[in-house]
Amino acid sequence: MIEIIDGYCTLGTERETQIAPAELLRRMDRAGIGRAVVAPDDREIAVNNVRGNDRILEECRRAGGRFIPACTVNPWYGPAGCEELRRAAAAGARMLVLAPALQGYCLGDELMDDLLLLAGDLRMPVYVHTGPHSASSPAQLALVAARHPRTSFILGHCGSTDYAYDMPPVIKAGMQNLYFEASLARPWAVGAYGKLAPKQALIFGSSAPRNDAGFELEFLRRYLPPAEYPDVYGGNLARLLKEPHS
Amino acid sequence: MIFDAHAHWISGTQPGGVDNLEYWLSTWELQGITHGLVMPLQALYDDACIRRENDEIAAACARSRGRMIPFCTVNPAQGEQALAEFSRCLNELGCRGLKLHPWLQGISLASRGVDELSELAGESGAPVLVHDGTPCFSLPSQAALLARRHPKTNFILGHCGLFEHWREAIDAMRHAENLWGCLCAPHLAALREIVARADIDRLLWGSDYGFGGADHIAYRRELFDALDLDADRREAIFARNPSRLFRLA
Repeated sequence: MIEIIDGYCTLGTERETQIAPAELLRRMDRAGIGRAVVAPDDREIAVNNVRGNDRILEECRRAGGRFIPACTVNPWYGPAGCEELRRAAAAGARMLVLAPALQGYCLGDELMDDLLLLAGDLRMPVYVHTGPHSASSPAQLALVAARHPRTSFILGHCGSTDYAYDMPPVIKAGMQNLYFEASLARPWAVGAYGKLAPKQALIFGSSAPRNDAGFELEFLRRYLPPAEYPDVYGGNLARLLKEPHS
Repeated sequence: MIFDAHAHWISGTQPGGVDNLEYWLSTWELQGITHGLVMPLQALYDDACIRRENDEIAAACARSRGRMIPFCTVNPAQGEQALAEFSRCLNELGCRGLKLHPWLQGISLASRGVDELSELAGESGAPVLVHDGTPCFSLPSQAALLARRHPKTNFILGHCGLFEHWREAIDAMRHAENLWGCLCAPHLAALREIVARADIDRLLWGSDYGFGGADHIAYRRELFDALDLDADRREAIFARNPSRLFRLA
């Protein structure tokens, strides 16, 4: 039995991502998910980076290894933001989360460059939320990934919904430092990406608690059968994060 | 009754092609859908397909034993030609409403063409379903202003704001009493909020079936079931509201 790793969850404290660690673990158990990357919530991603990073790191310490901590930095903090990324990385954070629509810039803005260079130096993958707005789209991330070849990027949500049209050319660009995370993307769309993308480039994620992880997992399996795409469900992310995986 | 308020007819993509009405109906039956509205898709991308697809949809729905409600599309940028085609669809083909997809069709909801079509729709009692959730032409707020300009016309947000604009969709429906919302595409947490905060009597459910396979229906049915609504609210969304809006017998 391959261990399933959920590539993105929010351990939130308010609004639609309000969920306690114990409840997330209970839902992971129910869905057969071994570990999950957990990220700060929206307010923490937008403005309260330090508080969010500390909270997530602390929850991960308490979770007996089942949570993998992601941190966030708003690039508008400039050098102080880079310092926060160094601090969070030293404290155990394994992934940097950026959400341009929440944080107030367009993906590709040079505002991000120092932070992205540092993430590359730290060997920390950068998860970027994409969406139907124009602040963060798949094509924009492709350009950023080309500009920062030493940094690995995870294209969160595969541009879902309307930027799904941009996914085939982005995938076919064949960028070695670009990975594709499935949460919020329609399972049948992810199935189509599975036929286009290298198998090592796809990552399962649920965006729990916005979604029900077990429900999303069940549907994704119909389009990316684990027997054919085993690493989508944990191995790819584990390699990227240099995590052990069984 | 379980009414699917968001489905697309796509020529040639179903087994057997466009004429295979029985495939559609059997798929609906397998998925528990009793009725639904059927809208064009190719015609949203290609104006050259508009008349043909409107004809095909009307013909299929006419043979559906009352289960499929035809919606047509026109491109508002075509001015008089669009008005004439919409009139033809209403009066000759028996279409019951209009589908607009502003960003695919390249037309602002603030344009004169959309206003003229909206007036005609209102005069005919035909709702206008608008794709929403996508900048720069398809925001719920833009649909709300359109709805306020045409108070006699009912409008439907086809996606209740998708993933990023569902809060705006709730606000939009509060702003305009003739604006309805179709629960088709927001994530589970957003669906919960919409159902809790929006007017339950103006909510519909939809699958986007036709844009893909039958799993569109299964996925969105099960997502809806996960809301665990009481029987009265399910009845409102699945049956009572569409019956009222689409004047079903």
